[in-house]
Amino acid sequence: MKSESFENWLRNIYKTQDEEISCTECFDLVSRFVELEVSGESAAAKMPQLKQHLDQCRACRDEYGTLRELRRLEDEGEAPSVDDLRNSIR
Amino acid sequence: MSNVRTNEEWLDDLRASGAVQEAAIADLRNLLLRTVLFFFSRNLGDLGGLARDETLQLAEDCAQDALIAVMNHLSDFRGDSKFTTWAYKFAVNIALMTARRERWKGVSLDELSFSDDSALFEWMREDKSRGLVPDQSAMQSEVGETIREVIERDLTDKQRQILIMMVFNEVPMDEVVRRLGTNRNAIYKLLHDARRKLKSGLQERGFEVGETLALFSAQG
Repeated sequence: MKSESFENWLRNIYKTQDEEISCTECFDLVSRFVELEVSGESAAAKMPQLKQHLDQCRACRDEYGTLRELRRLEDEGEAPSVDDLRNSIR
Repeated sequence: MSNVRTNEEWLDDLRASGAVQEAAIADLRNLLLRTVLFFFSRNLGDLGGLARDETLQLAEDCAQDALIAVMNHLSDFRGDSKFTTWAYKFAVNIALMTARRERWKGVSLDELSFSDDSALFEWMREDKSRGLVPDQSAMQSEVGETIREVIERDLTDKQRQILIMMVFNEVPMDEVVRRLGTNRNAIYKLLHDARRKLKSGLQERGFEVGETLALFSAQG
């Protein structure tokens, strides 16, 4: 394990809560979380349990990151087209 | 005109019949395909074993699976986000699972679960005393030993196996789920329980968060 990974893992150990939401609950709530973020609201303050799950769960965090980025580009009118994306794949 | 529908219009059109429904489904499928391609384009390393045509076909398959998932879950949409944002998450989820499966398909379960104790704690055994006074260096070693003790003594076999796969061998959750025939919630729970034991073990020995993190974040 790399030192940075170890440090992050150690931090996550200390951030562990007795009760944490599941991946299914995260999936149910994540679109709301992204919408709050895109609209400039403090998603983490309004949905702390979801934020905590995202900090702990790499799979859910990866999905959230993609969703947020796509949603942000869409909001800015910069979302790539299907053709652009096809051409970007070599 | 996929980008001008309101949430209500999406639901109405997708639940309609005939040409209205067909148009809505075609628009939705195109948006889901874009979502899958968006994910693939940012994770091409996972798809390195595929030719371009195969990747594009895989994207089409994922988009179709996502479309079916969205249509099956329409009644779950609560209206607390844009409908399209809600729909995209199905496509992202399927794209991620597919990409990770491609990335790890040549690796055996034994390799994913491999635990060489000497390698496992290799990083902790390295000399990290640089910049630390002797007391801090000794405390760092104690933290490492505490973690090792908890893993070896307090974790169940299953918790230890999952921890080794995901934390030490960095195997993605969905690949662990697929190989062990389980689901994300079960794996998350195992890791959560392991973290709780590790947190308790560290705190019982007096290693509080700020002090402990400072020991390891001080490394150059």
